[in-house]
Amino acid sequence: MRQENQVPRPPESGAPRISRVDASVSTPVKYFFASALVWLLVSSVLAVITAVKLHVPSFLNECELLSYGRLDAVQRNLFFYGWASNALMGLNLWLLASLGQFEFRNAWVATVGGLIWNLTLTVGVLVLSLGTQNGFELLELPREVAPGFFIAFLLAALWPAVAFARRPTSQVFVSQWYVLGASFVLPVVYLLTQLMVLWFPTNGVLPALVHSWFLQNFLYLWLGASALAAIYYFLPKELGTTIRGYYLASIGFWTFFLFAGWTGPATLLGSPLPLWIQSTGVVAAVMLLIPLTVISINFFGTLGRDQGWSRAWNNTTLRFMAFGALSFTLATLLQIIFSARSLNAIVRFTAFTSGQQQLLAYGFVSMVIFGAAYYILPRLTGAFWPSAKLVHLHFWSSALALTVLVLSSLVLGWSQGSAVAAGKPFAYLAENYLALIGTACAVFFLIGHAAFAINAFGMLISRSPSTEQGRRA
Amino acid sequence: MKNLNLILAGVFFTVAAPFGGLLLSGHAQLGSLGRAPAEEGGQLYPLKEPGLAIQGRQVYLELGCIACHTQQVRPAGQGSDIAQGWGTRPSVARDYVQQSQLALGHRRLGPDLANYGVRAKSEAEIAAHLLTPAAGSSMPAYASLFSKAKDGTLQPNERGTALIAYLKSLRQDYSSPEAKLKQ
Repeated sequence: MRQENQVPRPPESGAPRISRVDASVSTPVKYFFASALVWLLVSSVLAVITAVKLHVPSFLNECELLSYGRLDAVQRNLFFYGWASNALMGLNLWLLASLGQFEFRNAWVATVGGLIWNLTLTVGVLVLSLGTQNGFELLELPREVAPGFFIAFLLAALWPAVAFARRPTSQVFVSQWYVLGASFVLPVVYLLTQLMVLWFPTNGVLPALVHSWFLQNFLYLWLGASALAAIYYFLPKELGTTIRGYYLASIGFWTFFLFAGWTGPATLLGSPLPLWIQSTGVVAAVMLLIPLTVISINFFGTLGRDQGWSRAWNNTTLRFMAFGALSFTLATLLQIIFSARSLNAIVRFTAFTSGQQQLLAYGFVSMVIFGAAYYILPRLTGAFWPSAKLVHLHFWSSALALTVLVLSSLVLGWSQGSAVAAGKPFAYLAENYLALIGTACAVFFLIGHAAFAINAFGMLISRSPSTEQGRRA
Repeated sequence: MKNLNLILAGVFFTVAAPFGGLLLSGHAQLGSLGRAPAEEGGQLYPLKEPGLAIQGRQVYLELGCIACHTQQVRPAGQGSDIAQGWGTRPSVARDYVQQSQLALGHRRLGPDLANYGVRAKSEAEIAAHLLTPAAGSSMPAYASLFSKAKDGTLQPNERGTALIAYLKSLRQDYSSPEAKLKQ
């Protein structure tokens, strides 16, 4: 990996230059990435603690504040709402501005949205740590956070998308469809889910159905679609080529949005929900094969020609992006295959499903965010990444920890599931191995994230020319 | 695609379709589900939950028990839950109609609890398990649910008593119109 390729640089010569377009969104994008990083660090520390607790249950078990169930929920919420969502709001804003060469007039609106988002999250997590909780993954925060999140998201994500959509222009790229779609889906789905699950709940199993709908929308159509937008942008940009089979991309986009929203019940096979609902989910999951094929043709077709893979390997941003694209394909494929009833019966409730989620949320989404950050932040600050070694350390610790964690979750989850299915008594054995591996991986994740944070904050603090300077340059 | 309004309209449809097709239809089918007798004119099941058990569910959720325990028995063809002894019949939607806060769970680091109240022999057994979980299990001890009694022994406090009552109330061992018990 050559030094020049590895660290993206701002335009040549003398004083740092920031393009007018970048300068117009510089403050909110930097703010989103900085706050995302802080949450990532906190959630990584908590992940180490919860991982240790799984094999040493007495570790930090003096008060309920630190009980496994509660820390696990706090960690998950910080990761998804603090890290991934903050970073993607920043990334989407930057993508809209850059792709459309569009100068946002009132970018402070997005910053205000970001402030409300993080304030709401902080209060929500504090209340959650003190002990109100419900049984729905990623809806554990008290319901009072919903209005805060909703308004914050409208300001930080939907407003830029609408402002962008109203500008006079001729060309719209595939990345922008995904950003628009993601920015529209999340607030609508979040609002409806909050109303149906937490504000006006019905007794019985219906909330579980609504929740599964929310979770798949959140994972695939908010996190997933936003990350796909970034790959669609950076892949051709950095390889200096066009997307292979670009004419297929609109089919991929529409089928992805059309089917992903129906896949919720496929995660609830064997539950007390009516069978027809579960079967609908399975059908939708199988239909995901269409967008998966299209998107894979687009990505791997592009990477596959003109030595794309080796050039991607030698480019920091693309190395992360290619890792993300592979993870997306693999995670979606697993989702499709393990929606088959007989296979799902074995792996449901085991570590296998959490491995699947890790692959999607970290291997795909987070790796894409990292890659994008390596490209964007130097262009916003006009500075260089302080240390190439830390970039290496970040990539290798994140990539290795993720690979080991996902592989061991899948293998041990499968072996435990098949042992239980074969009639062996439910045992803790496989979980204990996994807990040890999980702790090691959590430590490596923390090391990688710390390296990334030191580098990023070093750059954000070292030199940040004001917007005015940027405009003059 | 140049027309952004078209994109937004299309995306709106992709959200509205599963909302109507799954959630509203699901609501139409499940929304008015009520209790039912096991046999003609008999007792309605599931039984009304005791007040203490309702408080106990709150403790169950506060402690995050749901991170490791599920409360759903899958049918015989779909996993080995029944063979594991976690229930005698699959869970059906009607079993949950009394519950204002659902705790189906998504991960099994510990056993399923849908019928824990049937399996556990006594309140004392549950209390002992919460205070000192089985060796080798990854379940932590919940000392905060206990306080010292006058005779110096550790007894469940108010929250502990509620949680134990809740766990004891967990049972799906009655016949339901959708899932009859085998005679």
